Amino acid sequence: MISKDATVPRPARARSDYTSQQPPRPAGSGRALGARCLVGAAAAAVVSIMAASISGYTFSSVCYFSANSSADHEGFLLGEVRQEETFSISDSQISNTEFLQVIEIHNHEPCSKLFSFYDYAGKVDEESLDRILKDRRKNVIGWYRFRRNTQQQMSYREHIIHKQLTHILGVPDLVFLLFSFISTANNSTHALEYVLFRPNRRYNQRVSLAIPNLGNTSQQEYKVSSVPNTSQNYAKVIKEYGTDFFDKDGVMKDIRAIYQVYNALQEKVQAVCIDVEKSERVVESFQADVNKLKRQIAQRKNEKEQKIRLQQAILSRQMPADNLEPMFVPRMSYTGFAVEGCTLEDSDVSDPPPPYSDFSATSQESTVSHGLLESSVFMPRPQAVGSSGYVSTNTGLKYSGNGASMPSSQRAVGDNVDESEDSDYENLLEPTESSDSEYSQTRDSRPSAHPDGDSRNTQTSQI
Amino acid sequence: MAVQAVHLEADAFLVCLNHALSTEKEEVMGLCIGEVDTSRIVHIHSVIILRRSDKRKDRVEISPEQLSAASTEAERLAEMTGRPMRVVGWYHSHPHITVWPSHVDVRTQAMYQMMDQGFVGLIFSCFIEDKNTKTGRILYTCFQSIQAQKSSEYERIEIPIHVVPHETIGKVCLESAVELPKILCQEEQDAYRRIHSLTHLDSVTKIHNGSEEPANFTKPAANGVKALLTYRFQQEQPRVTQINSPWE
Repeated sequence: MISKDATVPRPARARSDYTSQQPPRPAGSGRALGARCLVGAAAAAVVSIMAASISGYTFSSVCYFSANSSADHEGFLLGEVRQEETFSISDSQISNTEFLQVIEIHNHEPCSKLFSFYDYAGKVDEESLDRILKDRRKNVIGWYRFRRNTQQQMSYREHIIHKQLTHILGVPDLVFLLFSFISTANNSTHALEYVLFRPNRRYNQRVSLAIPNLGNTSQQEYKVSSVPNTSQNYAKVIKEYGTDFFDKDGVMKDIRAIYQVYNALQEKVQAVCIDVEKSERVVESFQADVNKLKRQIAQRKNEKEQKIRLQQAILSRQMPADNLEPMFVPRMSYTGFAVEGCTLEDSDVSDPPPPYSDFSATSQESTVSHGLLESSVFMPRPQAVGSSGYVSTNTGLKYSGNGASMPSSQRAVGDNVDESEDSDYENLLEPTESSDSEYSQTRDSRPSAHPDGDSRNTQTSQI
Repeated sequence: MAVQAVHLEADAFLVCLNHALSTEKEEVMGLCIGEVDTSRIVHIHSVIILRRSDKRKDRVEISPEQLSAASTEAERLAEMTGRPMRVVGWYHSHPHITVWPSHVDVRTQAMYQMMDQGFVGLIFSCFIEDKNTKTGRILYTCFQSIQAQKSSEYERIEIPIHVVPHETIGKVCLESAVELPKILCQEEQDAYRRIHSLTHLDSVTKIHNGSEEPANFTKPAANGVKALLTYRFQQEQPRVTQINSPWE
């Protein structure tokens, strides 16, 4: 009887006698093989695992776009998937096949706003998807979502969208990268957590996401010592072939060549940098124009609404005076910040969320921001990065950092009216309930529903 | 308290993150450039990436020469942007380590505060993963130092920090981003030069080292090109859709 420990070569055909798994398929063309299957003593085990990596600059870029967003942020992950198969024989099993699916995320395609490719029912619209992705559709290997102060779990809507995306994009193992942002009560420390899900696998499997960097991909260290060799033959051979490697100065020829490559790359980087800078300035000026126009539109709409209300007030005589208060609050300045995910229809630009004020010198509206300061005390606050308005009332804040819940003495209260950012701190003293009730009050007057877009409202965002 | 809060512009945040994620083997550091307003809020508009001459673990110190060079750079930025910019703080990374500053960090911060009360310290903790939940984590914190009441040691105090949206990447931040591959290459060059000067190594070892160098060398430069091309492409796409929306 052949001992189990013997390494006896078996015919390949024998594997199929024992395994109940389907034969391996190339990546992307079918479901990756799943569970282990052990039949009898000499079984073939098939294990499928996934290794994922995302480049550091793509990761930073996602963080950058997320930081710029006052609401949730989402987008698509572009990259490539390849499959590696390792076949090993060990003492415990005759054959052990490991399918390693390697996912490399090279780039991302951010969505400019929420609900850009799906509706409120979670139905994905393929046309909008194509408009966003264009010719990058074939490179999509997953999608991502950034949320603040929420759990590291996929929401029901995300599951629904994921299923549809899997089907529409034709990527059977589409992945979902969830970013979750939490802060300490005093906003001194913030944590960005990220989990990569494989929702099409059982139990919504999680995959470790590595960020390759110079620390883990650089070559070995330089050698600082060598074994001395005094053999004359050795010296003769080295001398003969040395000229292939070293030039007359004793410098390695390869090094010179590589310096040339480096210089060429550096020049390229500089050229691209100049291009990027130019296009960024163009974008900035467009953005400024867009904001100005939005302000004008909102202002006119406001004036119109005020007129109508005045007329109604005069006519009815029964409307209580204080009801008018929140409606007269100026809503027109949203300095330097795009409206994201807050409008029911694209054409409705009159009800953007209160802006996160921009401190750039281009914003010259100190008087308006003063008005904004007052209004923002009553208005729902945008869920800006580390915004304390929501966090301070969330007593169950799960900051898994190092037990840092700081005393309120650390809270800063600003008093400079030019910077409505200070209202962030003032809001620490405002109970959220009152701002919620104001929110619901203004909700009636303006259809600026903040659906899942506003992660402040965790209930809706978890749908 | 000398500083109420820190507002870090999103494009400067991008450069910091990029820098912090560039290596997990050692701590990286840089200086923050910006201004302090009348309500004692520190606004960080840009960062300067620094080379670490002393790469010991958990000893992140900036030499006076670097500080001086950074001040000069800040002056140049002030001229370029037309705003009063100066060095307002420093940042460094804690790869695989907790985000809280070590006692060395706290002492270093205290020293900087002697020069400038409003000087702030930022720490980025990265390459952390919870193996059980497969959750990766990146943390950042802002702190200053105060003298402890009962001892001569320093303690950290927490300063609120917010990342302020900045929809486009400023010129200054782009330049800093481009500096990163240059600085990494320079560090590699220096390391190679030191090795190359060792005369006791035999030729085969030199050839080995010589072939290590190019790989180490070109990687940061290649990454720099890739990074910038990534940024550029991404900026163009969403902007078009954003700008289109009001006219739909």
